[in-house]
Amino acid sequence: MLCPFRLAADRPAPLPPPPALGKISLRPPKAPPPVPAHLRALLGGARPAGAVLALGDRRVDALLPGGGVPLGQLHEVGAEGLAAETGALAAVFIACLLARLPAARPVFWIATRCDLYPPGLLDTGFDPARLVLVAARDDAETLAAMETALAEPAAVAVVGEVGRLDRVASRRLQLACLRHATTGFVLRRWPYGRKAAADGVPAREREPTAAVTRWRLAPALSAAEEAGARLTPATREPGPARWRVALTHARGGREGAWTLEFTEASDEAPHSLRVVAGLADHPAAPGGLRAAG
Amino acid sequence: MWLPDWPITRLHRAGFAPPAEKLATVETERGLRRLVDVSAAAAALGLRPGQALAGARAICPDLKLAEADPAGDAEALGRLALWCERYTPLAAPDPPDGLWLDITGCAHLWNGEEALAADLARRLEAGETPCRVAVAGTTGAAWALARRIGGDAAPVILAPGEEREAIAPLPVGLLRLPPAAVAALRRLGLRRIGELYRLPRADLAVRFGASIVLRLDQALGQVEEAIAWPRAAPPWLERLAFAEPIGTPEDLERALALLAERLCARLAVKLLGGRMFAARFFRTDGEVPHIAVATALPVHAPAYVAKLLGAKLETVDPGFGVDAVTLEAEAVAAVAPAQPGFDAPAAGGASATDGAPLAAVVDALANRLGPERLWRVAPRASHVPERAVERRPALDPAPMTRKAPAWERDPSQPRPIRLLRRPEPIEATAPVPDDPPVLFRWRGALHRVRAAAGPERIAAEWWRRAPRSERDGVAETDLVRDYYRVEDTEGARFWLFRAGQHGGGRTPQWYLHGLFA
Repeated sequence: MLCPFRLAADRPAPLPPPPALGKISLRPPKAPPPVPAHLRALLGGARPAGAVLALGDRRVDALLPGGGVPLGQLHEVGAEGLAAETGALAAVFIACLLARLPAARPVFWIATRCDLYPPGLLDTGFDPARLVLVAARDDAETLAAMETALAEPAAVAVVGEVGRLDRVASRRLQLACLRHATTGFVLRRWPYGRKAAADGVPAREREPTAAVTRWRLAPALSAAEEAGARLTPATREPGPARWRVALTHARGGREGAWTLEFTEASDEAPHSLRVVAGLADHPAAPGGLRAAG
Repeated sequence: MWLPDWPITRLHRAGFAPPAEKLATVETERGLRRLVDVSAAAAALGLRPGQALAGARAICPDLKLAEADPAGDAEALGRLALWCERYTPLAAPDPPDGLWLDITGCAHLWNGEEALAADLARRLEAGETPCRVAVAGTTGAAWALARRIGGDAAPVILAPGEEREAIAPLPVGLLRLPPAAVAALRRLGLRRIGELYRLPRADLAVRFGASIVLRLDQALGQVEEAIAWPRAAPPWLERLAFAEPIGTPEDLERALALLAERLCARLAVKLLGGRMFAARFFRTDGEVPHIAVATALPVHAPAYVAKLLGAKLETVDPGFGVDAVTLEAEAVAAVAPAQPGFDAPAAGGASATDGAPLAAVVDALANRLGPERLWRVAPRASHVPERAVERRPALDPAPMTRKAPAWERDPSQPRPIRLLRRPEPIEATAPVPDDPPVLFRWRGALHRVRAAAGPERIAAEWWRRAPRSERDGVAETDLVRDYYRVEDTEGARFWLFRAGQHGGGRTPQWYLHGLFA
């Protein structure tokens, strides 16, 4: 169930400047101290007591509250630039997480633009037969449909693609998730043509949110196989997909950013997300070859 | 009323063959094919019911055949009886080819029995249904008179009290006796009903069975005969009228809740559930706004129905006030009784406890957005990417069973996570005929290609009889596509294809079809 991670030791490709997040140190961050039981009730759910979905790498899990992505709560996944308009990175990221949830109940995916392609979900290990797709007309309807889907213990997870999500709406969704312990994902996706912010986080996405974790994805160059010094793209194949993933908000956890690689399915590690390097641009271990598969 | 050759008539009405054609229905009896009913044209050639099919074919080689369908005939007869309710509320089919209509008290609406019978006969003749109508005071007399042979086809009306004289000249076979009794009577030389009057009744009963006396009495009106009249099922309708017109939303909600309780109580007693509920609000100014909800599974839980209706209540404008509200269950189906467990939360009201919350969510979303906006996906065997997925209803149980078609994954042919509904044309610069582009422009943004994989050729499905034309935005001749998976210098990955090939006289066009993660 956990995916084993291996340290990658390749030369990191030149990356665009990371989003402004503050200092990131190389020391493995200490996990926050556990909240004493008598204070947990007072804090009223600040510390999620439910199940968590560990991503498998201790560098990532150490920052997440409870050691993994908390289930039964609301999570927000956004993206930068063109990815914010296409919503492709966020969709695969969410599907990777959904693939590990129990398959007894379906997953609702509510969107305004229904261009989700189920065969593309197969690589993540998520069975498209569990999907129930809902087409809404606008953001307000998407949020209302998400609340309706969360009102009954019918689904194991509900994913909604919205553009604007204000604090009140996210609070309502979080409460709805808590009612029946259904995991909710909000995929921030903007209409095409919106001028993508070149740097920093646009004002609309800096609003406070009631989601437990907030992720921000950006595309990263993959380790394309380079044969010799040929530079024409005709001879280079794109390697496994890589993203820069930043955890910008985690209630009860800490912020962090990594480069994750989406590996192909193999025998021992199907559909895994692999941490390639922290954003400090230092390889974790010198030399070494990446094991195949 | 007698409908001669009802199966043939039914086939004519169904458009199977024109009336003048030689038509016969056949059935297989003990391995031998026999004719059951023949049309008038075929009978003129000498074909009879009960004749072997081989012999009939020898006489008439171009005979048109249809399988005998007694169940269909009976059902059609029942429908005709329902249509006859325009004359009288008591109309019953008399299998195999007759109809009973009790027009006591209805004749004055047509200014007399003659006019009623004439109107009935005229309408049926206009509908290509030959019929013989007879009106009499007793069922036996009417039955016999309708089936008499000879005479004109005009309806026969008997004044009350004339039955005895009217049926006396008719043959004994028209008394609804078993065939053995009829044969015995004929052997003795008793051919007319009138000859039976003179014989002592006790001897008749001993000799030919008690039924002959019964039938005689029924024909003469001395014994009552009961006919089972079919009655239409009562509609599942509940109505609530108010002394003063109401208009506030709370009052309307309360009225709907009350109606839902009553209607669901009636449904629950019969273990039925409704799948479509319609509420009508009768306003004081005569307008009748209505709302309708549909559920995926039959339900009879009043709170659930009231909640679904209440969600749509805001579209109703009460105007100056609502005088009456009706709630009708339009599609009613059986509901399997389910026993709730001790720990199951009270939810849904749908039949299966396992799927109850899911059915509730599907109902709520379908009623709010429309049932066509909710679907599951299933794979379709097609190479063309946009045809590889098909939609299924949201509550389809197939995904939960083992027999669901499995999604097959080909690791060498990865598919994008987002597929544009129509491939968008892009401007691309590609070096040589078969190489992926080095840069392309999509939606105004320029992308430089850093790495590319491909080509993967997907051609048109030549086995499709009617190829799609310009509907997809790509002409059919361009459906030879070479797909490339490209990555640009920022790390975004696209699925492009080139439609058509170089050297064909037209330059191939590049399109963007999907987006990878």
